[in-house]
Amino acid sequence: MTAPVIKLTNVCKSYRLYKQRPFLAREFFRMLLQRPSAVDVHHALTDVSFEVMPGESVGVLGRNGAGKSTLLSLVAKTSYPTSGTVEVHGSMGPLLELGAGFHPDLSGHENVFLNAAILGLTRSEIEDRFDAIADFAEIGEFMDAPLHCYSTGMRARLGFAVIAQVDPDIVLIDEILAVGDAQFQAKCNKTISGFKEAGKNLFLVSHNMSDISRLCERAIWLERGRVAGAGPTDEVISNYMEYTRGLSVG
Amino acid sequence: MQTFKDIYRYRFVLSALVAKELKAEYRSMALGFLWSLLNPLVMLAVLSFVLVWFFRGNWNAPSLVVVGLVPYNFFSYCLSGCSSSIIGNSTLVKHVSFPRQILPVAMILNHLVHFAIQSTLIVSVLAVFGPAEGASVLTPNLLWLVPVFTLHLGLCVGVGLLVAALNVVYRDTRYIIESSLQVLFWLSPVLYSARDAFSASQKAWVHYVYYGYYMNPLSGVLSSYRAILYYGTAPNLLILAMTLVSTLIVGAIGVRAFWVHERQFADLIQ
Repeated sequence: MTAPVIKLTNVCKSYRLYKQRPFLAREFFRMLLQRPSAVDVHHALTDVSFEVMPGESVGVLGRNGAGKSTLLSLVAKTSYPTSGTVEVHGSMGPLLELGAGFHPDLSGHENVFLNAAILGLTRSEIEDRFDAIADFAEIGEFMDAPLHCYSTGMRARLGFAVIAQVDPDIVLIDEILAVGDAQFQAKCNKTISGFKEAGKNLFLVSHNMSDISRLCERAIWLERGRVAGAGPTDEVISNYMEYTRGLSVG
Repeated sequence: MQTFKDIYRYRFVLSALVAKELKAEYRSMALGFLWSLLNPLVMLAVLSFVLVWFFRGNWNAPSLVVVGLVPYNFFSYCLSGCSSSIIGNSTLVKHVSFPRQILPVAMILNHLVHFAIQSTLIVSVLAVFGPAEGASVLTPNLLWLVPVFTLHLGLCVGVGLLVAALNVVYRDTRYIIESSLQVLFWLSPVLYSARDAFSASQKAWVHYVYYGYYMNPLSGVLSSYRAILYYGTAPNLLILAMTLVSTLIVGAIGVRAFWVHERQFADLIQ
């Protein structure tokens, strides 16, 4: 009996929606007058529970606003549940925003160090893997140029290269990123498949059913913050497709 | 305490962030590190000119001002830097999980480097214009700089964490800080010696103003710097004790506020 790598138990997440942005000056007087601001509560996730076993890949599908990204941020531990528990064991590679924290005035080299450090590598690990990152990104002599000289594609390639070499246990993906030209995209797809073959867990949020059925054994279908279906990918996808077809006809 | 343990665990990230800030700042400026000296130098020249010319200050007014101005600058840069440290790194905060306190702490360390550079200004101005009349600075009293600097840094960290957290929740915090810093510039002994100001009157109510004045921890820190570096004496121990207490209070509020709001940062940044 192995322990799950990701385990969510009765997770609820609600956001406070302020009618106006809260301002310190106003809230302070409101507090003195004991008249709190109008706040609506939006329940993004309600009573979500599931487990992901080591080596298992899970796809999350659902319509816009179903709570997919909220779920992803909870697993990524950037956000915390309002109630319930989220347990994650293992290092995480968030393939969410490529090059988060890149600074335009620093060179590609310096940005790789910074980005990899934030993703949890130590100095010696980065030094060991630096060449692999540079090779993967295929940006040649631009590695020493400041990032504001880069094209959008180059920046994204560098960001992807860092995460590809961070070697995380759990890879979080928000849509398979269409980065760069066809050749580089093929390389990215190969890397993601490679993660899977190496026994990593993929946690993929996508609207692209073929990506999910290709990469994941299990799928979770979210509908208005609740789990509407979970199980083998093909089963969940066909239920979901049937449901959305019903919506568009009706 | 966990707050500070996490900082130690992520010290490599911290050093990478500080290096990033410094490199980025100085690559975008033609004069490089000289820029760090130029701003206080100009301020110092203007303020000393006003003091000497319009207020009949002593000729060594630059010495009087520099020992207050440079520490005040450190505090004020830390505050404005920290207030935008979380929302300025919104993509990181939203997508990567790491202890958030390293962002304001990196900002403080970055300004600490500037403070170190600007300290050379204190030394050179004191060497040129000399300390207070009949005072000698090169005494064992200089050792007092260690506890005073510790208080100063602690104050910056405490208030820095507080404003970093507040500015995520309430976006007008930054503007409130800017105005408060203007007020603090005059309410703390930057341009004048509080010792002279309070010793001028013997009236009883002045005492209450005196204690009220030193409720502000920055006043105590700046007064102590001035006592050590300008008058060459040990700082007033009562003032130092009051500063210690108020710094601890402010620090506890800051750490607590950061800790309470930290988990919501990613939700609040949109």
